[in-house]
Amino acid sequence: MTTPSPSPLADLVRDQRRKHAAGLRLAAASAAIVGAASVLLLGLSGWFLTRAAIAGVAGLAAAQAFNVLLPSAGIRLLAILRTAFRYLERLSGHAAALRALAAIRPALFAALAAAPPRQALALSRGEASARLVQDVDAVETRLIRLSTPWGGGAALAAGVAMATGASPWSALVVLVAAAASLLAARALAKRLTAQTGPAVQQATGELKDALAAYAAAAPELRVYGARARAAAEVEALGRRLDDLKQRALAAQGAILIVQGAALGLAVALAVAFAHDAATPLAAMAGLAAAMALEGLGGLAKAFEQDAGAQAAAARLDEVLVHRPGPAAALLPAGPALRLGGEIFAPGERLAITGRSGSGKTTVLEGLLGLRESAGASPRAAFAWAPQEATLIAGTVRDNLALAGVHPDDALWEALSDAGLEARVRALPRGLDTWVGENGERLSGGERRRLSLARALLRGAPWLLLDEPTEGLDAATEALVIERLARRLDRTGQGLVLVSHRPAPRALASRELPIETLASSRAIG
Amino acid sequence: MSASFTADLDAVARPWLKSLGAAVGGRARAAAWWLLADIPAAIAFAAGLALAVDALPRGLFAAAPWLALIAISALARGLIGARAVRAGARAGAAAKALARRQAVASALGHAGERRTGGQVLTAAVEGVEALDGHFARFTPNRVAAVAAPLAMIAAVAVASPVAAVILLGTLVPFGLVMALAGMAAAEESRRQFLALERLSGLFLDRVRALPVVLAFQAEGGVTRDLAQAADALAARTIRVLRVAFLSSGALEFFAALSVALVAVYCGFNLLRLLPFPVGEQLDLKRAFFALALAPEVYAPMRRLAAAYHDRQAAEAAAQTLAALPAPAPEPEAATFAAPPAIAFRAVTVTYVAGEAPVLDGFDLELAPGEAVALLAPSGGGKTTLLNLLLGLAPLSGGEVTVGGRRLSHLGSIAPAAAWAGQTPLILPGTLADNLALARPDATREELEAVARAVGLDAVLAARGGLDAPLDERGAGLSGGERRRLSLGRALLKPATILLLDEPTADLDAASEADLLPVIAAAMRGRTALVATHSQAVAALADRVVRL
Repeated sequence: MTTPSPSPLADLVRDQRRKHAAGLRLAAASAAIVGAASVLLLGLSGWFLTRAAIAGVAGLAAAQAFNVLLPSAGIRLLAILRTAFRYLERLSGHAAALRALAAIRPALFAALAAAPPRQALALSRGEASARLVQDVDAVETRLIRLSTPWGGGAALAAGVAMATGASPWSALVVLVAAAASLLAARALAKRLTAQTGPAVQQATGELKDALAAYAAAAPELRVYGARARAAAEVEALGRRLDDLKQRALAAQGAILIVQGAALGLAVALAVAFAHDAATPLAAMAGLAAAMALEGLGGLAKAFEQDAGAQAAAARLDEVLVHRPGPAAALLPAGPALRLGGEIFAPGERLAITGRSGSGKTTVLEGLLGLRESAGASPRAAFAWAPQEATLIAGTVRDNLALAGVHPDDALWEALSDAGLEARVRALPRGLDTWVGENGERLSGGERRRLSLARALLRGAPWLLLDEPTEGLDAATEALVIERLARRLDRTGQGLVLVSHRPAPRALASRELPIETLASSRAIG
Repeated sequence: MSASFTADLDAVARPWLKSLGAAVGGRARAAAWWLLADIPAAIAFAAGLALAVDALPRGLFAAAPWLALIAISALARGLIGARAVRAGARAGAAAKALARRQAVASALGHAGERRTGGQVLTAAVEGVEALDGHFARFTPNRVAAVAAPLAMIAAVAVASPVAAVILLGTLVPFGLVMALAGMAAAEESRRQFLALERLSGLFLDRVRALPVVLAFQAEGGVTRDLAQAADALAARTIRVLRVAFLSSGALEFFAALSVALVAVYCGFNLLRLLPFPVGEQLDLKRAFFALALAPEVYAPMRRLAAAYHDRQAAEAAAQTLAALPAPAPEPEAATFAAPPAIAFRAVTVTYVAGEAPVLDGFDLELAPGEAVALLAPSGGGKTTLLNLLLGLAPLSGGEVTVGGRRLSHLGSIAPAAAWAGQTPLILPGTLADNLALARPDATREELEAVARAVGLDAVLAARGGLDAPLDERGAGLSGGERRRLSLGRALLKPATILLLDEPTADLDAASEADLLPVIAAAMRGRTALVATHSQAVAALADRVVRL
């Protein structure tokens, strides 16, 4: 299932880069032209000015003998090149990167779905899922900046070339200063991420957890007069996060100081070493050195982002090593169910009983292979209505579509059997009504019934229902159970039910106390 | 969508950011001052370069002081830049602290039926974080982008007024182009920013729904949906960028043009070959100074453009943050010597204007000391009714009286009420601290008695008694234990009103049975309103009311 490649993300990015190579090459070439043109423009201008000053002082004859057309035409040409290729660089670079990026999220999702459940589900919850999204963003930023080194490199090359015209020592000074500046920036950026990166993440997580816990208890905070105390706790966590981030920025300041020092020394020394050469060449060397080192500023910024992106890429790699297998089809007819050492015939109706927190939900998730890897996917035999009634952000139809493609009649029938048909018909856009993130535009009971309808729609041999009527009033509960019983009679589906409420348990022909269920369970 | 979005930006996000900036005050200006402090250093650098080149023919010794000036002023620019970063970070942190305080107050002051939880949480953490760049980088750079070019041009004017006029001359059409193309580009890139955010949101949503996606074997379909959305976004974005990048092209054009014009003008002036009289004769140091400073005229605008993304992120976040409901104010406290009567008359509650009311014309009278159980269909407004009494839900019509006086005149009855909610509150501290919230002057013996009464003594024994440490997540307390703690508080509080919201939800029949006597004890001698689905809990009340 896994590939030997050390970094699947790098492979994926390489594939995409190959696919969009033309655009990326154009962006890189354009960046190089812009970088070089900026340095050449100023260097040439400096040479031209100094040369003109000398000729001007020498008198009219010398001035007229000085060929002004070539340098001034060169200056104008460089200015035009800079403009045109800047536009081209940004457009082609972004276009290629965006097309390449469109492949990353789907590939990551497919890999996540193929990963062992323990790993995948740990990443799908709370803080970890938010981090996954940030990691993708970090990797994207790096892709969009692919042309940055070319621009910086070309600027440096142009600067070195111009300095060489004055003195090889000047050129060497520019090179050494550039190397020192880049190496220092990289080291500082790396140290910074290693020091504050994990701490920032942890502080963010703690802030979120604390706020979530207090927000959920707002009425109690009010009744017990503890609102100010809770707000102070949250603010203290926020302050700690801000402090960490400020410390991280101190390193950015250090990079600026190193760059300033390198630039100043490089320009002063480049001019000093050029004192034997003609003054116009020294002037050219000084200006070119200044522009070349300034052109590296973008590269240093890329290092800062890179240091973060590397950690992000490593985390994404842990997911991307998993390759999706072939799609499994839904089992048409019922296999027997092995549960706690017993074998149940297709169509049986069971209720798992036990005290709160005794692991009933865990048994259902185990059947679905959501606890540990199950060799051949057992999921083809089940339709599940989970305890949390998870919905996706989308329309009623989008949510039902998770259960496969069905005609509208079938959708309405499932909604009717879940006791939700009238409600959905009353919605302004019916099946195409947006239900919000995790169905937040629906009430708790409505979410649960939509989740139930989705499970009913999937014609699997076994229905796994986890607290299907929690949060419903008695009348609705009775209606849902009656229709469910009729539907089960009609389809002959088996049922495994978890509920602490007595009414739905009447559906079951057998009760299985949780204590009797050992860990051995599978489809037989 | 774009028109209303822009309107929202003008009406909501920008004024909100502005008022936040005003509240941050001096710290926000400090970063801008440091950026302005860079101007003299840049001028010194250009002057050092010009004087060094001028002095070089007279020997290295003559040029040495100016070479030193080059090195020192460049280092100074680095130091000033570092200070600007630090000052910006402080301004960002100050703005974030203010915005966070508002968001936290909103999150803690508003709760109940509306499940704003996730949204408020994201706003208070990620949204607040997105404000950072706006105050740390964009705002200071905007000040610098206006002041610094003019200051640089003024410095050039000292050496060569004509060169200064040339630079000023490029600045005018640049401003015009930016006003035209820039605005269109800003709008387009803002839309692109939002589209990217939406794609991220879609991905995050599907990742969070992963257990269901897996169980329904829908991973193939969801992956295809994501790929389609991403492709569509890329195609649309690329069309948008063709326009958006025109502004960066214009910036580059005028930056390059200004250098080229200054170079050509100064060159011809030095050669004395200008075809028209200009009234000034330059020498090398002045001309070189003008040339060396020319790139600095457009540099602040370039830095501003680089910070533009920060602004978009902040504006997007500001829209959510500005729309957070203000926390319910803490009115004066009402107290009751004896259990009061409570009456709801024709009560209507509508959370969002235009939507169906959650409660509509609801009537209920509770006699002093009476215990009433509310049985209602899900979404029927039980929690809303309880929140209404605590001032956490809006009264849209009708009236509520407690002890014969209108709730709106009474102030808050919270101090007179004991409450156990669906998600029990746990503050960092010990178990004793958490119980004592209900009565800060309770003795150790009283706390122990209450803990025993609600059946928390098993936990007590295993985890260090009343001094067992808890964090806000409850540090390993089960759902049932949290409910016991919450009931314990309600028992302990010397309150004449008892409000319970689903005290036995998520509990099985046996665990529920354990808690029934505790609930009965809590009801004794109080006017009690209990929202529940459970027949057993409802049976404890004097009267059962169906909503």
